[in-house]
Amino acid sequence: MAGASFPTREEVDFVVVGSGAAGGIVAKELAEAGHSVVQLEQGPHLQAADFRHDEWGTFNNHDLTWSHRQGHPQTFRKTADEVATVRDRVCNYAHNVGGSSLHFSGNYWRLRPIDFMEASVRGTIAGTNFADWPIRYEELEPYYTRVDWEVGVSGLQGPWDPPRSRDYPCPPMPVKGSDVLLERGARALGYTAYPAPVAILSQPHNGRPGCIHCGFCLGFGCEVNAKSSTMITMIPAALASGNYELRTHCTVSRVETDESGRASEVVYFGEDGAEQSQRARAVVLCANGAETPRLLLMSESPRHPDGLANSSGFVGRNLMFNGYSEVTGLFPEPVNAWKSIPATRVVHDWYEIDPAEGFYGGGGIDGRHPVRSGTPMESAIASSMLGGPTWGSEYKARIREEFTHTAAFDGHTTSLPLDSNNITLDPEVRDKWGRPAIRCTYMDHPDDIATMRYFMERSVEMMEAAGALRIHASYPEDGQTNSSHMLGTCRMGDDPSTSVIDRYHRSHDVPNLFLCDGSSLVTSSRGQPTMTIMALAFRAADHINRFAQRNEI
Amino acid sequence: MQRHILSRRELLKSTLEALPRSAIVLSMPAILAACSRSAQNQLDGIGLQLLGSEEAEEFAAIADRIIPPDDTPGAREAGAVHFMDTVLGDQRERELQILRDGLGELQNRANAEFQAASFSILSAEQQDQLLREIENTEFFATIRYLTVAGMFALPAYGGNRDGVGYELIGYDPRPVWQPPFGYYDEDYMNRGGQ
Repeated sequence: MAGASFPTREEVDFVVVGSGAAGGIVAKELAEAGHSVVQLEQGPHLQAADFRHDEWGTFNNHDLTWSHRQGHPQTFRKTADEVATVRDRVCNYAHNVGGSSLHFSGNYWRLRPIDFMEASVRGTIAGTNFADWPIRYEELEPYYTRVDWEVGVSGLQGPWDPPRSRDYPCPPMPVKGSDVLLERGARALGYTAYPAPVAILSQPHNGRPGCIHCGFCLGFGCEVNAKSSTMITMIPAALASGNYELRTHCTVSRVETDESGRASEVVYFGEDGAEQSQRARAVVLCANGAETPRLLLMSESPRHPDGLANSSGFVGRNLMFNGYSEVTGLFPEPVNAWKSIPATRVVHDWYEIDPAEGFYGGGGIDGRHPVRSGTPMESAIASSMLGGPTWGSEYKARIREEFTHTAAFDGHTTSLPLDSNNITLDPEVRDKWGRPAIRCTYMDHPDDIATMRYFMERSVEMMEAAGALRIHASYPEDGQTNSSHMLGTCRMGDDPSTSVIDRYHRSHDVPNLFLCDGSSLVTSSRGQPTMTIMALAFRAADHINRFAQRNEI
Repeated sequence: MQRHILSRRELLKSTLEALPRSAIVLSMPAILAACSRSAQNQLDGIGLQLLGSEEAEEFAAIADRIIPPDDTPGAREAGAVHFMDTVLGDQRERELQILRDGLGELQNRANAEFQAASFSILSAEQQDQLLREIENTEFFATIRYLTVAGMFALPAYGGNRDGVGYELIGYDPRPVWQPPFGYYDEDYMNRGGQ
């Protein structure tokens, strides 16, 4: 279905930039509400039949996530006194309709009530921008439930859940051996492993089939549409609305404003490289936590010398990656964690680390394969992680052993919002369209490092209790240099001097410019943000629709 | 951080022998095409687009020490060099140069230490000795990575012929699985979720 077609020189109601976890929802919701919507997506419209079990293409050629190979370099440095250099992976996201909801592993932990008011309850943290959200869990709960049902989430309601108005639409995914071992370790130590909520269908729902457990999940597109990407859950409905045009291979370079300071049109390069511009009544940027601030910074003008919507100086600041730890154990019997989805159980006993530990943090631990994709080539390259030679006959034996007989208990943790962790425009490096490259500056806060270490230690204890024969444990003690989670860079708040958008995702500075994606988050989540990004998108679309109906955009 | 924690228990070496062998299901035309080419074990330059046959022979010899043949095929038979030929020709000029420079250095070592014209004619023990001398170089890291990738990547890239890499690790590339997936979840189900 091709959808509608709008002339670029006539004003549509909305241009939505980006078609990922947030953009797919916002565009579909606004189109179904009767507004004309043009969605600009820089990547192709891949669908289930396009996906293959191709590790080299996925992880080395970056077929989905793109890199300098496709003409999209990004640069990285730890601190502002370093010169950033081009890296293969910095802010890692999928360039296609559906964005990273296409290749993610769909861990759909809701935030809990505490997440929205942690600074008040626990106290602010000196040297950081740690703050309360302007909204509370109760305001977001109905939208979490819409994600559960309209996007499709599998899980089990229980005492471990934050309050929910409706049960999950699909039962939890079948437990994997790696998570049986997690549950065994947790139970022995008095902790609770409960079924992980995931945006992957355990049974047919909304006309889509259940998961076939192929094992090529994290990093890959789902070949049967069991993974709840916006590509399959939202875009078809948007196209069917009759009010929506999807323009793929369109790379936005700036948002233009008129003399009254309102957003007037969105300038982009089409597939043929020709610059075009779509006029719009209002603009919604859903380009992700790295690309949305980049676009605002690229949209500088005499009226907005520091970038659009940036009177606070907070555009691009407070970048949060989420932290991690990885603990691998070898077991006597076949675990076969390479099958099915990455994680089916999670332990949340350290959702909030006891402040008596002396640092801020929290998160969860789930059971997985020791290489997160759980796939043969990645596993073989990493083999001998439990010690031993990395080539020769003994290594060959280890490859086999570690592919089948290991489980990993992975920590997923908080990050603090800091001025010094940010997205800026690289002064030297440009992409294939001549746009300044994303420059990422990032060094984990000492509390974030301590949190990762804490989670590694808890995982080691559970691994020993689960009966692992040998254990290897690690965390990025020197700080992370890349992530698929780019959060907080245009955050929501009531105070225009310390936030970029208001509680309804409207930018404080430009009345008809809305931002909704990972950049909107005030705090980092406990390591699995996409459920919250989608809930925010449903909520933002509700409010934006009301504003449009009342002529308040 | 790369911390190794040895638990109190000892590794049961016997686990390796206890692993099941899986049948490989071939479905993709690219795999079948690879099969027809893989009969000859000797590299003679057939099908190579980028690498010369002499350097390819040397790279194959190195690859075969990284993943050696024993009761199952090694990296040479898996077509690791044909994999390298494919991927090095795809925007990887830097890696190709690392391999060529490193090979030249390795040949000099073969000549200096064993008076041999090339690495590939040395005995396995001599080859291992030379590789141990250079195992911390960028050259070795690069060819090690490409060898392993070539053993396990999708066969369409020219390696992993006949799915030998998959068979080695007990990976069955069929697309549909049903629980139980392994020993522990089957045991869990049998005990009613305990």
